[in-house]
Amino acid sequence: MKKVRLLGICCNWSPFACYNAAGMARMKMPDNFKLIRVMCIGRVNQALILRAFEYGADGVILLECNDEDCRYGPGPEVGHENVKRVRKMLHLLGIGQERLVEKSFAAHEKEELVEALWDFAERIEALGPVTEQKAMAAHV
Amino acid sequence: MDKKIDQIIQDRSLYLCLECGKCTAVCPRRLTGKEYSPRLLAHKVIVEREDEAFIENAVWECLTCEICSEHCPSGVEFSGFILEMRELLAETKGLKGYRAHDGAIHSWMRMMTAPELKQNRLDWLTDELNTSAAGDIAYFVGCAPYFDVFFSGIEVDTLAIARDSIRLLNYLDIEPVLLPDERCCGHDLLWTGDRSNFERLQKLNYQTFKDAGIREVVVSCPECYMILSEYMPKVVPGFDLKITLLMDLIQQEVHKGGTAFKPLKRRTTFQDPCRLSRMLNRHKVPRELLTEIPDMRFTDMEHSGRSAICCGNSAFINCDAHSKQIQVQRLTEAKNTGADLLITACPKCMIHLTCAMRDRLKQKTLKLEIRDIVSILADQIKPYGG
Ligand code: SF4
Ligand code: SF4
Repeated sequence: MKKVRLLGICCNWSPFACYNAAGMARMKMPDNFKLIRVMCIGRVNQALILRAFEYGADGVILLECNDEDCRYGPGPEVGHENVKRVRKMLHLLGIGQERLVEKSFAAHEKEELVEALWDFAERIEALGPVTEQKAMAAHV
Repeated sequence: MDKKIDQIIQDRSLYLCLECGKCTAVCPRRLTGKEYSPRLLAHKVIVEREDEAFIENAVWECLTCEICSEHCPSGVEFSGFILEMRELLAETKGLKGYRAHDGAIHSWMRMMTAPELKQNRLDWLTDELNTSAAGDIAYFVGCAPYFDVFFSGIEVDTLAIARDSIRLLNYLDIEPVLLPDERCCGHDLLWTGDRSNFERLQKLNYQTFKDAGIREVVVSCPECYMILSEYMPKVVPGFDLKITLLMDLIQQEVHKGGTAFKPLKRRTTFQDPCRLSRMLNRHKVPRELLTEIPDMRFTDMEHSGRSAICCGNSAFINCDAHSKQIQVQRLTEAKNTGADLLITACPKCMIHLTCAMRDRLKQKTLKLEIRDIVSILADQIKPYGG
């Protein structure tokens, strides 16, 4: 079976603290998973999420802080709104809205984060790769 | 590269430029204070080609609105020159202009070049809209389902154009086929230099029409119409589809005499889409149709018809403070006619002008109801004498 390509977009604060702690504890994570760290999920717009799929991601997970923990203000809420819209676009495109998920964490929840990543990997693997979405990246 | 540029300026008659500056004097980008001059660009590309930075920057500034060509005494085809230069710069240097909305719109357009795409683009259809599973005539929806999701923050309803187009077709006893895997017409990819993906879309759309046994495609959006009728035939060998602009179809019906309109007591004006009024030379059609509607008081803006000014953005690149200023001026002109309803004919004019209206500081002065002409016609159409 062809391996799926998984992308996490991760807020620098709580979720990245979890990711870092999980790494320090040498917890095993899916090896087909890549992570992009951003200062805040509020920085990520619809275009960036959509582009991940344009460039060939089979699944994208937004790793966020809990709403009340955002270091800047409305970051996670911006994330929820963008996820809602991009999921609709993925549905329109027939890629499937279930390929985009978001999950929030408090800073100490490394087990929860690792579990969420495995769960995400499992779901996307069950869906399989988005067929030949790469062809069109030819001119980007 | 140099040879290619020579060819482009030859083909687009740039050598005939007199440096009179009429183009720059009417260019909306320039008139809102942008450091940009089509005359200077023409000059540089002919005699100062070493100023690459200037040329590469200027080529993406143009709105491709073609008002300059209206005034050029030498017949310089400026927007055609821009189109080919963008293709060249995209191909050789990977340039693509400053993409509005971070390029999201171009992303979904490119994603539609995947041959095995299976879209869910028709969820909005309802029982009141009569469509056929098979037949000769298709209605081309375009990107409206995508726009309405992406721009939900500014509450535009471009799908109303598709719904009302189908209502109009139903009124004419046409139950069009709607193709679940129709793709973007490619207009914005073409005008941002992405020739290869543009051509892919042409071939895929043509194949989709042919596979469904379609002979005629009815289109309401002027950009889609221009692409399908003028560009697709150049890309697809043996092209044999009839492409019809919905507005033309309604006009023919009115001329036949069986159709009239119910009164609408509104003061209206019209924003001419550049593709419709200048490039397709259809500026008279919407006016003729609107003046058929009893009780409507239609007044043109100061700049209208072939001299109308662009809605401020084209192909979703380079949207900036100058685009905004053009939009504010457009809305102010519309308001100055005394209109309480602004009619247009292109979903993008609707999106761009709606966006400008929502400016927090100017909301009170700029807010104006905006609807597409097909929506007005669909609401008012009735049998003659009926
Ligand atoms: S209006 Fe035509 S002739 Fe005059 S400067 Fe512009 S391109 Fe040249
Ligand atoms: S096409 Fe429009 S924006 Fe471009 S140079 Fe001419 S007038 Fe200016």
